[in-house]
Amino acid sequence: MDLNFTPEEQAFREQIRAWVAENLPKDISHKVHNALRLSKEDLQRWARILGAKGWHGWGWPTQFGGPGWNAIQKHLFEEECALAGAPRVIPFGPVMVAPVIMAFGTPAQQQRFLPDIMSGKVWWSQGYSEPGSGSDLASVKTKAERKGDYYLVNGQKTWTTLGQHGDWIFCLVRTSNEGKPQTGISFLLIDMKSSGVSVRPIITMDGEHEVNEVWFDNVEVPADQLIGEENKGWTYAKHLLAHERTNIADVNRAKRELERLKRIAKAEGVYEDTRFRDEIAKLEVEVVALEMMVLRVLSAEKSGKQSLDVAGLLKIRGSEIQQRYSELMMLAAGPASVPFIREAMEAGWQGDQAAGAAFVAPLAGTYFNMRKTTIYGGSNEVQRNIVAQTVLG
Amino acid sequence: MDFDFSDDQEMLRDTVRKWATKAYTFERRRAIAKAGGFSPEAWKELAELGLLGLYVSEQNGGMGFGPIDAMVVMEELGRAIVMEPFAAVSLVATSLLNVGDVPSAALWLQGIAEGKERVVLAHQERAARYRLEHVETSAKNVGGTWQLTGAKTVVPAGAHAGAFIVPARVSGAVDDPAGIALFLVSKGEKGVAVRGYSTQDGACAADLTLNDADAIELLPPGQAFAALEHAIDIGIAALCAEAVGAMDQLVAVTVEYMNTRKQFGVAIGTFQALRHRIADVKMQLELARSMSYFASLKLNEPASARRRALAQAKLQLGQSMRFVGQQCIQLHGGIGVTDEYIASHYFKRLTVMEMSYGDTMHQLGEVAARMKDTAGVFA
Repeated sequence: MDLNFTPEEQAFREQIRAWVAENLPKDISHKVHNALRLSKEDLQRWARILGAKGWHGWGWPTQFGGPGWNAIQKHLFEEECALAGAPRVIPFGPVMVAPVIMAFGTPAQQQRFLPDIMSGKVWWSQGYSEPGSGSDLASVKTKAERKGDYYLVNGQKTWTTLGQHGDWIFCLVRTSNEGKPQTGISFLLIDMKSSGVSVRPIITMDGEHEVNEVWFDNVEVPADQLIGEENKGWTYAKHLLAHERTNIADVNRAKRELERLKRIAKAEGVYEDTRFRDEIAKLEVEVVALEMMVLRVLSAEKSGKQSLDVAGLLKIRGSEIQQRYSELMMLAAGPASVPFIREAMEAGWQGDQAAGAAFVAPLAGTYFNMRKTTIYGGSNEVQRNIVAQTVLG
Repeated sequence: MDFDFSDDQEMLRDTVRKWATKAYTFERRRAIAKAGGFSPEAWKELAELGLLGLYVSEQNGGMGFGPIDAMVVMEELGRAIVMEPFAAVSLVATSLLNVGDVPSAALWLQGIAEGKERVVLAHQERAARYRLEHVETSAKNVGGTWQLTGAKTVVPAGAHAGAFIVPARVSGAVDDPAGIALFLVSKGEKGVAVRGYSTQDGACAADLTLNDADAIELLPPGQAFAALEHAIDIGIAALCAEAVGAMDQLVAVTVEYMNTRKQFGVAIGTFQALRHRIADVKMQLELARSMSYFASLKLNEPASARRRALAQAKLQLGQSMRFVGQQCIQLHGGIGVTDEYIASHYFKRLTVMEMSYGDTMHQLGEVAARMKDTAGVFA
């Protein structure tokens, strides 16, 4: 047992750190460090910088143009990016659909889609959730009928994160009503510029436009955009979920945000208040424990000696921690976080005396936004069902 | 970064687990508790396994092993809730004798490794709670001989120890760490009174009263307090591992019960309220295991990093022990609160462990006082 990274791993980290320091635009990291609004242009600029280096698909094997890093190297890359204030890479392309295309796509599909995902040129969205489906993903109703060399798609997806920017969307669609709900699902790639696709915003309680409804009205999708076999989509979707592993815990961001919480608490004069400081101390221990759990998983992956089935625990704990730090940040500012100043979410806003310092304005909004974390990706209650299943057999 | 155990460590684990499963059964444990909470025979068996010299150097007849080996042993002893004071003697006291600056230390160490001698740290005082620097016991030098006066409490297996390592005040105010030295006090000396008693978990402890008792200075002021803190951290890491083993077994027992006990015609493990509860229990267990690793892996860090890490670990373990203990009793229903059933004994052991080497509230104060601007495992 050894807690320390090997000299090689340490050297790798230094290399990443130096590259990020040189290539991450300061205006973007400033926004991330202060929870300011990131534009589509910000996100794509960072994606393309990574893409030019061949790191937008940092988890990819070399045969598809990725760096071929192991689990530890991927973690170190993610950690260095997070701590430096890089935006989270929008995962739908490089992290979610790409591994499915690699595992189940045809060579033609791989050549058609993967390079544009790596380069950051094409923005992908995820079309899983539907109105009424909640955490029950297999209840897919969006219908795809085979009509010769195309599928006719009708239906609606929802909670499509940043779908307003999407070029393409990968969807679970129903191609059969035979048998169990899981067996009639197919995995379809759809160009969002196709006739009949419309995107409507859902405004969340923080006043932001982050999620959308995506409607499909007689959309014709070429049959060569089906992944793998018809009615096997559920298998591919599960493969995708299995690839989420440790990044689901988002522990690197939690570390960065805990540091920010301390800065806010100091600025607001509550860091020396025993009652408040104790709450930060408890959160600090939660973050260390989560990080240790993530490192255990990575070590197990590296050695292959022991398997660790804790993905559900990582999701539950990671999401609870995200909610807690956003809550404590807001509480640190107290009444100063009450004024709602939409323009304060933009970089460069100087603040006014009534509302106090500029960094205070986004705190309540972030707290509101974080309520989603225990709901999405399989609600924490569904995760508890899964954990209980592994414990009780 | 590597969390795999070596083959030797896996063998060590197997050895201890086999002994605990075969020789330290629940029935035997009950008999030992009834007879006062310490078994000389069980101690001899631990000696025969070679465990008692784990931290004793090879030149003193021990194995000279490290924190991860200790962690492995403690997990397995915890799994069987072994009451004999292995950690107190062979880890905590041994670590102090290892750095002690007196010739007799080597003799005690050899005796410990052979299983013939037991030395324990007697540091707790009634008014100190968990504060190590609060020492009222005084030491005065009378014509070249040290004499100690004071009272120490809840000394592990004190009635079965041949000597005590005693922090006593040479100078300074009651909470001044710089005025504390560590002394070695033999049980037979005049002015040494030991009053043994059972503890809540079936084990035993003692109050130690010193009245101008002759003592040997093990470590002088200036070195003593740092060594004491280190020894307590070794105790915390051991206790974290012991708690993981105990919780692991308690959860296994609870899961088995949930899958067999029927209510309203079905196994109670089918009820979602209980399923979510056991998921929360599993969460606390895995967080605890993660932080137990963290504790042992940080033991050889520089003092400030080590102290912060061990306080963080004990805080997590304290929370986990209380939650897992309470919920596993609740999941059992009525049978869980009986003396006859094994779960209640795990619960009591976990309760006592939370109150050893600083409880959760104490550790929260430690963590809060030691926070840095950065965060995480490598902060």
